[in-house]
Amino acid sequence: MSFIKNYLERQICERRQFLLLSAYGLGGMAVSSALKTKTARAAVQNPKIAWSYRDRTNPYWNSIVAGGDAFVRSLGRPSDSLINLINEGSSEKSLADIKSLLSRYGSQVALAADPNDMPNCRPVVEAVCSAGAYISTIWNKTDDLHPWDFGDNYVSHMTWSDVGPSEQTARVLFDAMGGKGGVVHLGGIASNNPAIERLQGLKNALKSYPNIELLAVQAADWDTQKANQVMSGFLTRYGDAVKGVHCASDTMAYGVIEALRAEAIEGMPIVSYDGNPQAVGLVAQGKLLATVFTNPYWGGGITAALAYYAATGVFKPSSEPKEHREFYGPATLVTTKDASEFKSKYIDSNPEYDWKSLWSFTSGPIKYKS
Amino acid sequence: MSTLLTADMIRKWAPVLVLIGLVLLFTTINPHFFSLRNFARITISSTPALMVAVGVTFVILMGSIDLSMEGTIAVCAVLFALILNIFGGSISGIGWLAIPGALLAGAFLGAVNGIVHVQLKIPSFMASLSLGFIGIGLSLLITGGNRILIDDPVFRSLLTFRIMGFPLMVYAALLCLMVAWFIQDDTVIGRNFYAVGGGEDLARASGLNVGRLRIIGFTLAGIFYALGAIFAVARLGIAETETGRNFMFTSITSVVVGGTALRGGSGGVWSTLVGVLIVNVIGNGMVVTGLPDYFQDGVLGILVIFAVYLSTDRRSLSFIK
Repeated sequence: MSFIKNYLERQICERRQFLLLSAYGLGGMAVSSALKTKTARAAVQNPKIAWSYRDRTNPYWNSIVAGGDAFVRSLGRPSDSLINLINEGSSEKSLADIKSLLSRYGSQVALAADPNDMPNCRPVVEAVCSAGAYISTIWNKTDDLHPWDFGDNYVSHMTWSDVGPSEQTARVLFDAMGGKGGVVHLGGIASNNPAIERLQGLKNALKSYPNIELLAVQAADWDTQKANQVMSGFLTRYGDAVKGVHCASDTMAYGVIEALRAEAIEGMPIVSYDGNPQAVGLVAQGKLLATVFTNPYWGGGITAALAYYAATGVFKPSSEPKEHREFYGPATLVTTKDASEFKSKYIDSNPEYDWKSLWSFTSGPIKYKS
Repeated sequence: MSTLLTADMIRKWAPVLVLIGLVLLFTTINPHFFSLRNFARITISSTPALMVAVGVTFVILMGSIDLSMEGTIAVCAVLFALILNIFGGSISGIGWLAIPGALLAGAFLGAVNGIVHVQLKIPSFMASLSLGFIGIGLSLLITGGNRILIDDPVFRSLLTFRIMGFPLMVYAALLCLMVAWFIQDDTVIGRNFYAVGGGEDLARASGLNVGRLRIIGFTLAGIFYALGAIFAVARLGIAETETGRNFMFTSITSVVVGGTALRGGSGGVWSTLVGVLIVNVIGNGMVVTGLPDYFQDGVLGILVIFAVYLSTDRRSLSFIK
């Protein structure tokens, strides 16, 4: 158990150091604002790199942070020099942690962040910009907030559009069902944007398959155990009429597979979303027909890289076109045909990415609903 | 007198009546509900919850509360899976050591919980809640946020092997319930739980070591949480920090809905069985009857209030806090 001891010691030291430095920074801020000397700011030489995200209990955020680590190592820094700000799903904590970081290091920060919810993005970005630091965000941003309104400091925003890829998984599912029969959908938390988009993708695909009937849509809150229970309920309600299952996430698909295993039902077509390692393995085995890989590892690394290279002056964000400031991340459909190859390339080991090739895997500018 | 007796009888059996009423209601809306296959599905989802709820019943009988179950389950599930995989990955080999390993971990965490509560004189509510967080953190540390998969067909036969339509895990859980019943009714410890819950001052005055009893109660609860963790892993084949999720709400709800009073001293493990079945029949029934998502949580809340109202004698309560 020495790894636990080492880990705890490191975390305690880091936290202590962070608190002390924050206090020191706050003092420094007070003094400097009192003296109020305005100097022209040059590109930062060696900024601190930080990632602000929700938690480490799920594989998605683990991959994001692993990507961030890989980028930091590519600069020749030790992996633990990446500052982790974990917000535990609280927007208040997200903003407070970022402000503490800024009060210590001022403009010497390159921050990658998921602001936890959409309204929190603006205060986070404003705090970073007024400190003269640099930030790149992912996922949560309101439609009226744009990086180009903040000069160079709000470097970029990346999100993922799930409607198209979800429609593709639905088509794979319907084809496997022979174009006819009943399908059920297990969705995420009903108010979450990805849950809404993934259901919309299914509905779009249904238009081309008149003999497929959507029997029921039920939220299972991204939760394996709840999905297991919901699938059992569907089996009672519809019995043999269920010919296929469309899941809005891999975690829920695991629950569905186990509910079917309990009933000794084999070969039911199931598709899911997220491309978690376990799910890609299940696609390779044929237990899932398809999932969508959003490459969180690359996303975690490149978001930190964008903030870092903007801070160090390698590129000037305001000179870049708008599609380099707001863009969709990659989404790759993984099916039974290519799963094994895909697994060895992306899952079993992470490929060596060129972190200076900043937009190589993006999928076009963000389109807003007018 | 006779009307009072009847009222008391109704109150005592109210949870069972609620359960029967719910089954009839859901069957009327969708006749598929009333089938052996569906009952098997309900019992599968009830099995881990039953173990956890039985564990917390002992604590609630003493008038304390335990909110550490989610953390304890996460640690026990993860340790169980780790030990099983280290010892060859099959329960038929020396991998069976994972079972006593998980039970020991549960007992240890329960004992720590009890000791913190009794020795440091911290209310059980706070002590257990904090230890639950520690458990979640510990399991996260062990797994690094990853999932551990269990594919041992012998262990998974708890789910896949059926006798008379019900999987093996249901019978295993019933056996554990019998043991809990024995502890509750036929051991000194079990009877002392009621004594402390019914009137701690009296129990103390008659020479009972209440502190020691409380630690035993929490330890016992920890062992049952570990059993819940093992069944939860058997149900899904996955051990992770999330394995414990939602168990706090469902287990405490089940105990209260079953008719065990939160103030302690009355109720028991059979009431808890009825409570667990009510909660799981509602969960299953709402999907089976096709109730829209946005209604489901609200309906669950209303049914819980209704069940608790029916099963408690309000005249005997001088104040509600």
